[in-house]
Amino acid sequence: MKAAEFDYVRADSVAAASAALAAAGPGEEHRIIAGGQTLVPLMAMRLARPTLLVDIDGIDGLDGIEASDDAVAIGAMTRQRTAELSPTVRDRLPLLAKALGFVGHLQTRNRGTVGGSLAHGDPAAEIPLVAVALDAELEAEGRAGRRTYPAAAFFEAPMATAIAADECLVEARFPAWNGARIGTGFQEVASRKGDFAIVAAAAQLALDGGGRCARIAAALGGVAPIPVRIPALEDALSGSRLEDGEIEAALGSVEAAIEPDDDLHATAAYRGRVARVLLGRAIREARAEALA
Amino acid sequence: MNGHGANYRYVSRKRRTKEDGRFITGSGRFAADVAVPGMKHVALVASPHPRANILNIDASAALASPGVHAVLTGDALAAETAPLFNGLDIPNVKWFPLAVGMTRYAGEWVAAVVADSRYLAEDAAELVAVEYEALPAAVEIESLLEPDSPLVHPGHGSNVLLRKTFEWGPVEADFAAAEQTLTYRARWGRSSTVPIETFGVVSRWDPVREILDVWASIQMPNYQEQIASALGIPTNWVRVHNDVDVGGSYGVKRGIKHTVIVGHLARKLGMPVRLVEDRLDNMSGGDAHGPDRLFDVTLAFDDDGTIRSMKLRAIDDVGAYPGRGPLQLGKPITALVGPYRLSSVAYEAISVTSNKTGQVPVRGFGQSPTNFMIETGIDLVARRLGIDRIELRRRNLIQSDQFPWRIPTGTEYDSGDYHAVLEKALDLADYDALVARRDAAREAGRLAGIGIATCLEPGGGNNIFEQLLNEKLTVTTFVESCLMRVDMHGHVTAVMSTTTSGQGHETLIATIAGEELERDPDTIRVTHADSLEALPTRSPVASRMAIVLGSATSEAARRIRAKMVRIAAHDLGAAEDLVEYQDGTFFVRGEPARKLSWEEVAAIAHRQFHRLPPGMEPCLQEFSVLQVPGASGQLPNEKKEIQLYPCFSFQAHVPYVEIDPGTGKVELLDYAIGHDCGTVINPDIVRGMIVGGLAHGIGAALYEKFAYDADGQFLAGSFVDYLLPSAHEIPIVRDVEHCTPSPRTSLGQKGSGEGGYLGAPAAVASAVNDALAPLGISLSELPMRLCDIEAAIHAKRTERTG
Repeated sequence: MKAAEFDYVRADSVAAASAALAAAGPGEEHRIIAGGQTLVPLMAMRLARPTLLVDIDGIDGLDGIEASDDAVAIGAMTRQRTAELSPTVRDRLPLLAKALGFVGHLQTRNRGTVGGSLAHGDPAAEIPLVAVALDAELEAEGRAGRRTYPAAAFFEAPMATAIAADECLVEARFPAWNGARIGTGFQEVASRKGDFAIVAAAAQLALDGGGRCARIAAALGGVAPIPVRIPALEDALSGSRLEDGEIEAALGSVEAAIEPDDDLHATAAYRGRVARVLLGRAIREARAEALA
Repeated sequence: MNGHGANYRYVSRKRRTKEDGRFITGSGRFAADVAVPGMKHVALVASPHPRANILNIDASAALASPGVHAVLTGDALAAETAPLFNGLDIPNVKWFPLAVGMTRYAGEWVAAVVADSRYLAEDAAELVAVEYEALPAAVEIESLLEPDSPLVHPGHGSNVLLRKTFEWGPVEADFAAAEQTLTYRARWGRSSTVPIETFGVVSRWDPVREILDVWASIQMPNYQEQIASALGIPTNWVRVHNDVDVGGSYGVKRGIKHTVIVGHLARKLGMPVRLVEDRLDNMSGGDAHGPDRLFDVTLAFDDDGTIRSMKLRAIDDVGAYPGRGPLQLGKPITALVGPYRLSSVAYEAISVTSNKTGQVPVRGFGQSPTNFMIETGIDLVARRLGIDRIELRRRNLIQSDQFPWRIPTGTEYDSGDYHAVLEKALDLADYDALVARRDAAREAGRLAGIGIATCLEPGGGNNIFEQLLNEKLTVTTFVESCLMRVDMHGHVTAVMSTTTSGQGHETLIATIAGEELERDPDTIRVTHADSLEALPTRSPVASRMAIVLGSATSEAARRIRAKMVRIAAHDLGAAEDLVEYQDGTFFVRGEPARKLSWEEVAAIAHRQFHRLPPGMEPCLQEFSVLQVPGASGQLPNEKKEIQLYPCFSFQAHVPYVEIDPGTGKVELLDYAIGHDCGTVINPDIVRGMIVGGLAHGIGAALYEKFAYDADGQFLAGSFVDYLLPSAHEIPIVRDVEHCTPSPRTSLGQKGSGEGGYLGAPAAVASAVNDALAPLGISLSELPMRLCDIEAAIHAKRTERTG
């Protein structure tokens, strides 16, 4: 478990990082390292073999949490633990705040970054799931300048994103819902606390004055190559009173939206059944919160 | 502490362990801390195939890589070393440290690369080009019994390494007389002990002095002898440094193949060589997996719950290289019927080889799977008869006035009060309140269950069970030794002869020596002699050190004390039987003014020959080499009956679980255990063994599995896939001690090193099954993974609605 040989450069600007990434010759892989909580173990097992590591830890302005009227922008280098403890995130992005508590362990969250998790693109990871659920906008910067990826177009396959080889993710903007009766639910099952989710479910909803569902976002992780929204369920529940029977009926659309796989820890059938169970719980959790 | 007959001053007292200081301050010295000047590093080339012929190995590119000194292949090593030890009589199964001709599991080491650093060695290992011819693999446990199963060792002609049947007591008569029988299957998954420190070894050869120095993370009997045999050198050329701290083991630190690789390389290259496993090496190629068992059992019992007899078949998948692993089918014969009064038992022990990593002894040496098998049956009988599980146990447990109790296999249990320990555990758990809690949870729609397990921990060891499985093994000697010295200033030093892997042997020896000599244990030094200076030892296996080393320590101390009394009596001019020793002073009974201090007697012994009794050897040094106390030292009789282990600790477990019916996730919410290991030497160490053992057992019950796919590919080579429970998964454990001293040991002590591990898997399984009982579900395969539990719930619900 010793990493293969690699070079290392500490970038002092995004432009410099981008240039370093772009300089990869044939057969070379230049990769960004942020918190290193996923990449370093992969390198130690020689499952990842970058020839150059571009460290973005020293770039000014890549971390920080900033709220505007309708969004919260989180700098890519913001530590997961910082985001988890941020009052802004707790107030404006309660779904993300809940999800962060499930990301790895306290120790890894101290070092791991919000942007690193998004750029890694693990289909069972919590932060990408919330990004998809909330339609986050992911901003990357490369030699051609800045580009914004909608979360729905960012994740392409397990551990693969749309980001270009010379681009560095600089910021994630999560829409913040405004209004009185908003609730969130985040549910996850893993073999042990801190493991990647076997299945994770996220729901956020808003009720109108009459107690009907004005708006709902529902997404699942761990049950497809990328985190998935369940639009048919969202359509079915929009305008409903979110009664248990309505939720149960709407969960019928989960099966068609997911493509679970078998792995060592759970079967595809398990993931399919549990996806329904957990999404139902997440919606009911959000409903209770909105009603409170 | 509770129930002690004796009023000890140090024994059983809560005292800080002697080892704490060096570990807490980070000054332990482990194998990886040993730096020998000029030391080179080994990395291994591992087979990607479960079963393949090795057609060619081209090491030229690796040898040309920077800093590389050698590439060792299996053929080259086998040409100059002898095969490693196999416990079974299987002469055509050859085990070499590196694969010869054929690889037999995914991850098996095919070549070893020596370089200036581990980094360079790993770089070069990637350049070793091995040409394989992949072959179908032998994987699934029952298929290994079939004659057409792919042969793991073609020379052996079958994948069955052992098939022995035993019948103790009137099995058929008991079955004929019984009112009912119940047949069930229990499956113990392939898990192990997974220590935080992997195996590591450093070796240096001195050709002038003809000494092979070995520093290793080892816990194994006869290590020095096995190294010498494999390398073909005299035993007294091998010096194993037993003062190396071992960072966890519980049986698995048996890196003989690693040691032969570095020992051979050190001699061949004339350079010190080190091999420290990384986690991948350890989990896939370190030959450190535990038992992997399928039990088929029939119990014979009466309507009132009296269990009369058991017919048992155990198939154990020992992987590709059996080593000592298969003998784990033998040790449980010492407690094959558990703490229950069965009058007969039939046992078929089958050992099969497969294309999986080799098996190694694990904590309890097969007893924990056996206990799980027995307790599963007890719960099933209770469910069948509608008798409360606790009541059924009360009816079948051996009564306290029936000891010593002889079980059908010939072993006599030394002492115990199983009913009292069970009651204490139930009291501690506040059982009635726990039942109310469970029932309230069920009312609220949750799945909730209480586990019950009453299990034995045999302690003390004995080789004789080996002979039951392999008649060629006739070792009946199983010793441990202690050497004790009092120097001219009266300071006490005790010498032990083996390594320690966290069991606190220094505390054990100092506490017992302090008790016997009435000296403060904190002033007693304990050292580890190297193997050239050591007294006879069989290493700290089999929960034997408190029993054998502890009794040897008592004996050596008593000899010292007796000699000092003789010296004092002579010097004081009093008859020996009139001289007493108390609290550091030797005095004539009734005449306290006629006295000598401990220091004065020590000084006389060392420096004043003229004051010694005529003919007495000067100085103060005594030792005891002790055979397992209570062992007959004989081979089994013609009925295969024999006293195996001498001492039997007992534990009663009461865990409480709730299960999420939607996800199958088990939450352990409470855990109470009653425990009796006779006289407790150090309460913190015993509690550590209980709690750590419970964590180990909870892992085996719910999480840990060295999984393979149907083709034999290894799936669990890292901690992402081999799931150890963390602190989040382990409940707060409450324990209560009981003490029935063993009549076979110096202070009544029994073994406790296997601790909670011997009952936790059975207890957790019992709790899960109690939670699932309202659904009519009973599971008997470990680990009980959440997806398996959910699948069983789902199937039952579908069956009901469909």
